[in-house]
Amino acid sequence: MLLPRLLLGRLMPAVGRTYWLTEPCRIRREDNSVRIERPDGSPVRIPITDIRDLVVFDHVDVNTSALSLLSRNGVTVHILDHYGNHAGHFSPAESMSSATVVRRQVEITADEEQRLAVARSLVLATAENLRWALDTDLLDSALEALKGALPECRSNDAIMGQEGNFRRTAWAVLDSRLPPWLRMNGRTRRPPTNAGNAFVSYLNALVYARVLTALRSTPLHPAIGFLHADTDRRRNTLALDLAEPFKPLFAERLLRRAASQKHLKESDFETDVGRASLSKDGRKKIAALVREELATTVHHRGLKRKVSYEELMHLEALKVVRFCLEGTPYKPFRPWW
Amino acid sequence: MSPDSGLPADDESAVGGVHIKYLVHCPRQLWLYARGYRPEQRSDLVAFGEVVDDTTFTRRRDVDLGEAKIDWVTTGAVVHETKSSRAPAPGHTAQVRHYCLLLERRGVNVRGGVVHYPLIRRTTDVAWDDDARAEAEDTEAQAQAVIAASTAPDRLLRGKCRGCSYLDYCWGD
Ligand code: SF4
Repeated sequence: MLLPRLLLGRLMPAVGRTYWLTEPCRIRREDNSVRIERPDGSPVRIPITDIRDLVVFDHVDVNTSALSLLSRNGVTVHILDHYGNHAGHFSPAESMSSATVVRRQVEITADEEQRLAVARSLVLATAENLRWALDTDLLDSALEALKGALPECRSNDAIMGQEGNFRRTAWAVLDSRLPPWLRMNGRTRRPPTNAGNAFVSYLNALVYARVLTALRSTPLHPAIGFLHADTDRRRNTLALDLAEPFKPLFAERLLRRAASQKHLKESDFETDVGRASLSKDGRKKIAALVREELATTVHHRGLKRKVSYEELMHLEALKVVRFCLEGTPYKPFRPWW
Repeated sequence: MSPDSGLPADDESAVGGVHIKYLVHCPRQLWLYARGYRPEQRSDLVAFGEVVDDTTFTRRRDVDLGEAKIDWVTTGAVVHETKSSRAPAPGHTAQVRHYCLLLERRGVNVRGGVVHYPLIRRTTDVAWDDDARAEAEDTEAQAQAVIAASTAPDRLLRGKCRGCSYLDYCWGD
């Protein structure tokens, strides 16, 4: 029984944790450990098997020997830019892909009816989750309008357009509950123009990074999706798709909560004319906030155990695997608690 | 899995020991496994705890049939399979019988097999005779039928899925 375990150890992400690098640092290899050197303080050594992935919020200097250790152990490195956009990631060379699954994934997504059906259900679930996250009936009519419009949509662009309408309404409702300095006043990216948008950008990028990591432990190909266009700059359209229903759970919900608990301060952001990003402390706060949130658990009836929000993303990816392998219809995530 | 062993191993085309073990445990698990979906075995990795250098197992693997170790004595080969589980299971003996079958097809004079359970200090002897051979051939045919089926076999009853690495996949909806 020893042999397959060893192979598993080499090919798959271990049980390890996600490490959040919120300060500038240097990453080196030391035997089978990763040594993280920060400008102040002594280096930290983490056994490679303890790392599931790294999320980089600041400047990081990494060499090839560290990268090959990370790669061999299935560790993904996600890089967020100054404004919280997912700037890119480093992926292990080996993937869990299975030809059977990927072939089905391609067939299903190439079939317009099936692709649009999944795209519509993703948008609807996302809208409902947004309403849930904001805990309001002010969105009921917008939701009805969306439900009416979606079946008429014959293309991904049309579906995305409807989602845009709904989101604009939802963000206006959210703004009404935020202090003026945290209001979004419409969604802006690259760069986000104000603190509210900077917050949402970071959270969305983190959700995307988590989903991408979850997908890498499945046989699915993260670039073959249903809703987002193949021409999207980030190209991992399935990761973008599956991130959608989770974004309200993290971005909008935490924004609302951070505001009501006065957890975030204006000084956690660096705002300039027309651009905003998190300060060093702000990045740390958000990393802590998200870490805690990902570890939050809810009872899962089918599995008969508690699952963390992080695991929900993994289960979501597995639903798509079931869709591809067995044709089990994919129903996007909705909070049941 | 072991390209240098020169014996049919656990690749995509041949029915290997793992396939047989899965078939006996749950045909659905075999069907999924055969399609290349191999979920993380989180608990196994925790138990293992560290990355062991590749060379550690090449040395141990001198005689190797995918997983099983084989002893040769003058009168024939004995297949040894070590299990970390605490309870003997039908899948374990079926797996060893399958190794016997594969070896015999290679012209090896097979004497029998032994399953070792070091955690409970027990061994189970696996006989190799005409009955065992017939049974092994039958099991192999069943495995081939499950693998070839176009739809996945049903799930087991929920209670029987405990500890299966496919649990999240099968019950996570
Ligand atoms: S979870 Fe249950 S049904 Fe699914 S493969 Fe495992 S034993 Fe079979």
